[in-house]
Amino acid sequence: MGIEPGRLQFSWISSAEATKFVEVAQAVTETVKALGPNTHFVKHEAKVA
Amino acid sequence: MKVIYIEKAQWASGLEKAGDSFRLWGPVRRGQFYAFEELAGGQVPALDFRNTRLSAKGLVYPQSEKMFEYTLDPGQPDHDLLKEAQKDYSPRAVLGIRPCDADAFELVARNFDTPEYQDPYWLRAREAVTLVGLACAAPCSTCFCTSAGSGPFSTKGLDILLVDSGGNFLAQVATPKGEAFAQAAGWRQPADDAAAAEIDRQRQVAEARIDSHVATERLRQQDTLTLHAAPFWDDVAFACINCGTCTYLCPTCWCFDIQDETHGRQGVRLRNWDSCMFPLFTLHGSGHNPRGQKVQRVRQRFMHKLKYYVDKYENGIQCVGCGRCVRHCPVNIDIRKVCELMNSYTLAGDSCAVVS
Amino acid sequence: MRAYTEKIREIARRLLEACTVERVLGFRRGSVPMMNAPCFVKTPAEAANLVWDSNCGINLANYLTSRSEKIGIFAKGCDSRNIVTHIIENKIRREQLVIIGVPCHGMIDRHRIAAMADGEIREVVEDENNIIVQGDGFKKVHNRHDVLQANCAVCTHRNPVIYDELVADLVEEPGDVDRYRDVREIEALSAEGKWDFFDDLLHDCIRCYACRNACPLCYCPTCFVDESRPQWVGKSQDPVDVRTFHFLRAYHCAGRCTDCGACERACPVGINMRVFTKKLEKDCLEKFGWEAGLSLEARPPLDAYRPDDPDDFIR
Repeated sequence: MGIEPGRLQFSWISSAEATKFVEVAQAVTETVKALGPNTHFVKHEAKVA
Repeated sequence: MKVIYIEKAQWASGLEKAGDSFRLWGPVRRGQFYAFEELAGGQVPALDFRNTRLSAKGLVYPQSEKMFEYTLDPGQPDHDLLKEAQKDYSPRAVLGIRPCDADAFELVARNFDTPEYQDPYWLRAREAVTLVGLACAAPCSTCFCTSAGSGPFSTKGLDILLVDSGGNFLAQVATPKGEAFAQAAGWRQPADDAAAAEIDRQRQVAEARIDSHVATERLRQQDTLTLHAAPFWDDVAFACINCGTCTYLCPTCWCFDIQDETHGRQGVRLRNWDSCMFPLFTLHGSGHNPRGQKVQRVRQRFMHKLKYYVDKYENGIQCVGCGRCVRHCPVNIDIRKVCELMNSYTLAGDSCAVVS
Repeated sequence: MRAYTEKIREIARRLLEACTVERVLGFRRGSVPMMNAPCFVKTPAEAANLVWDSNCGINLANYLTSRSEKIGIFAKGCDSRNIVTHIIENKIRREQLVIIGVPCHGMIDRHRIAAMADGEIREVVEDENNIIVQGDGFKKVHNRHDVLQANCAVCTHRNPVIYDELVADLVEEPGDVDRYRDVREIEALSAEGKWDFFDDLLHDCIRCYACRNACPLCYCPTCFVDESRPQWVGKSQDPVDVRTFHFLRAYHCAGRCTDCGACERACPVGINMRVFTKKLEKDCLEKFGWEAGLSLEARPPLDAYRPDDPDDFIR
C-alpha cells in the first residue's frame, strides 16, 4: 500500500500473556520510533481547491 | 462582431505574452483523454482534441472547494472566527474550450446568479475567467448541441471564438474581456469581410455535419405528473448502476453538498459536487429517503434537465448537447433517447378519443 | 457471434413462452459503437432485441442482487463465477435461476480501441478473428486478441462454471497464462515507490463510484463511503480520501473478486483499479489455493477457519 514495512504489525496475544504483551508493545514502539513520523495516510486538512 | 487574424506563428508567442497578465489553462493530453490543466510557461494547449473528458465547469466550480476555515488556536490572532477561505481570483484565461462548454456557464449562471441569491465563489471565479473558445469543425456523432440551444460555432458565453483556417486562426472577439485578452497577447491584425464569410461558411458546414437531433418542443406543454408517472421509467432505469459519471462529466449539473471537516484545532467547510444518482443525495436526517429507489433517482435527473428546468427558466433544456454522458455512461443510458420518450409521450388513449 | 445471437434469442423466447422464467437478463444493442446495454426481456417477442458480440463486458450478475423473480440469465465465465458468489452469499437462490452459459472469446477494450483510432469511431463490426473499426476517413482492422480487455487477455475461466444449458460448445481454456505480472511489478517496488505509483494511478479519480457500482460484489445497502453517521471517509477530492475508498473497496472484495473487469470497464477516466483486486486475488490463490466462484460447495477463505491457515505475518 506504500506504508513502510514495520509500521503495521499484527500479533496474537492471549489475556494471560502479559509478558508477551509488554514485549510486543515495546518492540512495536521502538520500530515505529525508528521509522519516524508517518507521512502517508495522514490528512491534516483536505487538499482541495 | 469584430474579427482578427492570428497567424499560427504568432500563437505561442502571443500566449507567452498573455501569460504575463493571465494564468493560462488549456487542454492537455492525460493518458487516453484530454483534461484542462494550468499551462506551464511556454506550454501551448493541445488543440487536436475532440473534447475534454471532463467539462470545463470545474475551472469555475471545482469538484471540491473550500468555503470557510477556522482555527481554535488561541495563539492565532483570528482564532475562533469563521473566515472565508482565501483563493486566487487573479485573471485567468481558458484556451480551447468548446462552444458547448462555454454556453454551459451561461446556463448554470441561472442557478448561481439569481436576483435573490448570488453565489460568491462561482461569481468571482467566473468573473476572473476569460474564455477563448475553439470552434468545432468536426463534431462527434454524439453531439447534439444544435438541438440544445448551442452550436459548434456558438459564441454564447465565449469572449473569443477561434476558427481554424489553415495557417491562421480567425478570432471572433465577442466581449470587452476578449478584447483585453487579445491586447495582452498582442493580436490586433483586423480581418476583412472575407474572414467573416469564411467563418460563416465553416459554421454552416459544421452544423450540417451534426447528425444527432433531439426534439424538445413538446416538453414544455407536457403535464409534469403525467410524465412523472409515465411507464417508461422502469425500462430507462433498469441498466443504470447509479454512478456519478453522467453528473460529474456534465457541464450543466450544478448540485453540491456541503461538508465540515475538523482536524485537531482547525477545520474547513467544503463544498463538493454531488450527484442525484447517489442515495445519499436525498437522505433525510430522520433516515427517510424520498428517492430511495434507483428508478426515482434516474427519473429525477431527466425530469430536472428536461422538464422542471424547462418550466422554471423558460430557456430550453438544462443541457448543451455535449454528448459526454452519452459517450461515457458505462451502461449506455442515452439522454437523447430519454428526451425523445419524454417529448413524444402521450397518455394511451389520448390520441384516439372514443366518440359514442 | 451472429450464431450466438440467434441461439440466445431462441433460448430466451423458449424460456419465456414456456413460462420457465419470468424475465431474461441479457444485452441489447447500444446507441454508440462498442456499447451494449443490459436489459430485462419480459415477453417472447422482445427476445428479438437480444444480441451477443464482443461488447458484452458488463457483468450481468450485478443485476441479480436480491431479486425475487425467476430469471433466465446469459452468463460468460466471469458472470457465472459471480452468480456462484451471489448464491453463496445469499443474494439470489439457485432455484430462481436458469443459467444459460455463454462460452466466451473475450470482450474488447472499448477505451483502448477508441484511443488507437485516428478520429471518432462511427462503426465497429467483427468477424471470427478481427475487429473492424471505421470512422470518418479511416478504417482499422485489429486482431481481436490484440484489443481484448486487459482482464480478458489473462482470463483462465472463459467457460461458465455453472449452467443449465449452453449457447455453444465450450471453448478451450488458455494454457500457461501469466495472470499476475503487473502485480509482481508493483510488489517489487519500494514502499515509497508504491506510494507514488498509487498516487499517479488515482490522480484522475472523480469518485463517481462507477467502479463500485458496476461490481456485482458491491451490494452493501450503504457503502462505507456513503455512511454519514459516523462518517468514515471524507467526501472531497482529497487524495487520502480517494485512496482510502479504493483500498477499502478492494479489501472488501478479497476472496470474492473474479477479475471480471467491470470496474475498469466502467471507469470514465481510465483508471486500472484492477491492480488492487488482483493483488488480493493473487494472495488468495497463493496462500489458500482459492479462486472465487468456482464451486457452490466450498466456503471462501475469509469465511472459514483452518488450523493450517498461513499466519506468518502474526507475531
